[in-house]
Amino acid sequence: MPQQPQAQPSPTAPKKKRIRVPRVVNGVETMVEIEVDDVAGPGWGPNDKHTLLNHRLTRVDGPLKVTGAAQYTYDVRLPKMLYGRILRCPHAHARLKKFDSSKASAMPGVKAVIQTPLTEFRFAGSPVAAVAAITPEIAQDAARAIVVEYEILSHVVRAEDAIKPDAPGVLPRDPQKPGENNVRLKQQQGDAQKVEAALAGCDAVVEAEYRTQRVHHACLETHGMVVDYSGGDSATIYATTQGTFTIPADAAEALGLPQSAVTATVQHMGGGFGSKFGIGVEGMLACKLSKETKTPVKLMLTRYDEFVMAGNRSGSWQKIKAGAKKDGTLVALQATQYRLGGVGQGSQAGQPYAVYSAGETYREVYALHTNEDSSIAMRAPGHPQTSFAMDSLMDELAYKLGMDPVAFRKKNMRDVVYHRQLDRGAREIGWEKRNATPGGGAGPRKRGMGCAAGTWGGGGNNQCKVDVTVSRDGAVLVAVGTQDLGTGTRTYTRAIVAEELGLQMKDVVEQIGNSKLGGANASGGSTTAASLSPSVKDAAIKARLALAEKLAPLLGNAKPEEITFSGGNVTGGGKSLGWKQACAGLPAAGVTAHGEWRQDLQSRGVHGVCFAEVEVDVETGKVRPIKMLQVQDGGLPLNRLTMESQINGGMIQALGMVLWETRVMDSQLGLQLNPGFTDYKLPGSLEMPELVPLIDDDDKREVVIGIAEAAIIPALGALANAVFNACGVRVRELPITPDKILMGLMSERRNA
Amino acid sequence: MSDENERKKKSSGYDPSRRKFLKGVGVAGAGAALADHLLAPDTGADTPKLNAAGDPVSGSVNIALDVNGQKRNVTVEPRTTLLSAMRDRLEPAVTGPKLVCDMGTCGACTVIMDGKLVYSCLVLAIDAVGKKLTTVEGLGSPENMNEVQKAFVEHDALMCGFCTPGFVTTISAYLKKNSNPTLDEVREACKGNFCRCGTYPRVFEAALAAAKATVRG
Repeated sequence: MPQQPQAQPSPTAPKKKRIRVPRVVNGVETMVEIEVDDVAGPGWGPNDKHTLLNHRLTRVDGPLKVTGAAQYTYDVRLPKMLYGRILRCPHAHARLKKFDSSKASAMPGVKAVIQTPLTEFRFAGSPVAAVAAITPEIAQDAARAIVVEYEILSHVVRAEDAIKPDAPGVLPRDPQKPGENNVRLKQQQGDAQKVEAALAGCDAVVEAEYRTQRVHHACLETHGMVVDYSGGDSATIYATTQGTFTIPADAAEALGLPQSAVTATVQHMGGGFGSKFGIGVEGMLACKLSKETKTPVKLMLTRYDEFVMAGNRSGSWQKIKAGAKKDGTLVALQATQYRLGGVGQGSQAGQPYAVYSAGETYREVYALHTNEDSSIAMRAPGHPQTSFAMDSLMDELAYKLGMDPVAFRKKNMRDVVYHRQLDRGAREIGWEKRNATPGGGAGPRKRGMGCAAGTWGGGGNNQCKVDVTVSRDGAVLVAVGTQDLGTGTRTYTRAIVAEELGLQMKDVVEQIGNSKLGGANASGGSTTAASLSPSVKDAAIKARLALAEKLAPLLGNAKPEEITFSGGNVTGGGKSLGWKQACAGLPAAGVTAHGEWRQDLQSRGVHGVCFAEVEVDVETGKVRPIKMLQVQDGGLPLNRLTMESQINGGMIQALGMVLWETRVMDSQLGLQLNPGFTDYKLPGSLEMPELVPLIDDDDKREVVIGIAEAAIIPALGALANAVFNACGVRVRELPITPDKILMGLMSERRNA
Repeated sequence: MSDENERKKKSSGYDPSRRKFLKGVGVAGAGAALADHLLAPDTGADTPKLNAAGDPVSGSVNIALDVNGQKRNVTVEPRTTLLSAMRDRLEPAVTGPKLVCDMGTCGACTVIMDGKLVYSCLVLAIDAVGKKLTTVEGLGSPENMNEVQKAFVEHDALMCGFCTPGFVTTISAYLKKNSNPTLDEVREACKGNFCRCGTYPRVFEAALAAAKATVRG
């Protein structure tokens, strides 16, 4: 069949426009301005008209994961591979006096011992050295055999102690602000005097302090990597990472290779939750060990290492005063917010939390440093902390005014999407059946309900480059270097292409997780779906049009845009060809189309509300979660099954943070007392309430928006408020443990 | 075997039989002999002395493990866990069971040993000799999944998937004991497995669905 040369659809360059998009650096979302083509191509179409998207698609990598066939970084084993192990500083603050690794180096099977460049260690767990040996056991012995002498310096780990002007200094002083010790002003916004004046005219004022603890990501696969380097001129890095493309540059530098010689690969990874960007200290050490030994090295953190040196969620200490009128209008709010990030900056969204309008506002935000491992990004950095405090405060004001907490919230929410979601949530949980009087009701086990709301961006950026190739045998390949964290990226990537070409899921294969494939953004800030799916869609549309052009002569020279792809058939010009039959007409190389990001296929801004019911035993102080439900929008749900799983996951992680999880520190020694899964209390199967994830299909936006971070936010306030509604005790410090409930009940009785 | 060991064996009903198997599999070489003596210090004159500095003494022994119906020879140290033997020493490796907590808390390394669920991070490799071991790989393959594995995929009972082999193994073994469990029984059955992504509700659904499918099948 002779091929007709086809004219390019538009020889003139498209107009450009500048837009602001989120970009993630080390898990922290920042807005940047970029230039994009000002074009609007074919869209997704109505959300209820899809054949695969917005359906319940099982994961394409499910069979590999349930049978143990999926290979994670931790599972990689290479010939002659050495095992790395890190030696950590056991003191909260110390200076290196003497380092002697001669004994360790002399042990049979030990191939390298290297020191980190640090000479002052500002938290217990700070890495001092690393070893590489032929077995994990010998590596462990060698790390123990290193002799280190420290000069122990004074430390501080409690926020109440660190805030004192004469507290031990955690970080070197800033020469510009020599007066600042551990408390460092980061932001000041609003007019304090106006707020004071407004508060004076309020009918109800609440002044309270809220605290959130530091929790751990607790990724089941610890941080680390396998460096496949044997002294040649190239290397492959197997990384457990949220950003395939955050690995090669730093690894190349550590290995002394050009970046182009380093390939990063991540096929499956065991959880990140914001903690896995870049090569990290452990990756840098792994590369250096590999470089020194000219042998592949696997260095995965131990579980202990993971707790003490792989980061945590920033704690918070928030002092808030807010007031409202009798009619429920919030008129003023002032906040002093401390970010508790250890040696790091910490993170905390500003008060008032963005879902509420609070009239006159003023806030001061400080970083308050302690001798603890740096906090790092964790699922919705800064939001759960701020949301918990704000939604607790809203609840306190509602009860003080004698208003229904739902009605009070709606009164102060400008975005009516929340009104709709609150109404639905209230209906679904039976809000009218909540405890009429907090702490009321007979018997020691009291039930209560609470609610809260959350928001997140979830927009994309223009970093994803996708190729779709259709071969002459009908095989379809979609390739892009992105990574699947367990969110279902592979599945929707395949689904978008299959749907566009009128095929089934099994007809398309995706190739991801490799830095030699098309570029992709790091998975932070819920930006993956909105970055990747438009590029995949763009590539799929272009592949469809390219196919149509090639196949037109077989289909009565139908116009390419009129040729349809559906049900495994290609139809046009009064003829219909089966997929394989049609593809047989392609040139030997098949057809490849390249997709770029289209901003019109995605958006940002999601809404979610959570309702929780709990039971509090007022004799023991124990809280049992009964039910949690979350109404969440997100534009076009790419896959309902995995989106619901994400919402469940958010609720469960929030539940852990509200009731059980915390990093317990010994203030005398400056050490974490629970750096293991025995003592760090993760939610388990026996603690699970009934969980109801509800996708808000009243959101008719035909765009993709990420929801993973949004999923964790509103459940914190909902649970804490449910505890209050159940037993009448307002616990303002997480986690809500039985002792706090019992102390609250005791002080209530004393006051009565 | 000394009287003391004999008593221990009788009272606990537990016979690690390490010495027996070491002899049985015909180990040879200095490392093996050393390990043998460490395991059975009652054997007399040639017991090695710990050196004065109290340095750890280690050695290697060759053992055979029965993994998923295959006899697999592997060299381990006496302290090597079953999990590490499978993941770090067997060639090719068996990596379905995951190393997560390394202290018998999270269940990601769960395997079936002689019909019973064990945390393979808490079992010494040498204690697993002569036992029939089944890992998640032995329960099904991507092309031929068992009912639990199928139900996990169908109900999206996995996200990152790192805990999944443990849950699948636990539930597969449990359903053999109780083919028609209640939701509460399923919760109880997998209380020794942790998930961080938050798949629990769907793990429960999958377990109940697998039970139904197994009964039907």
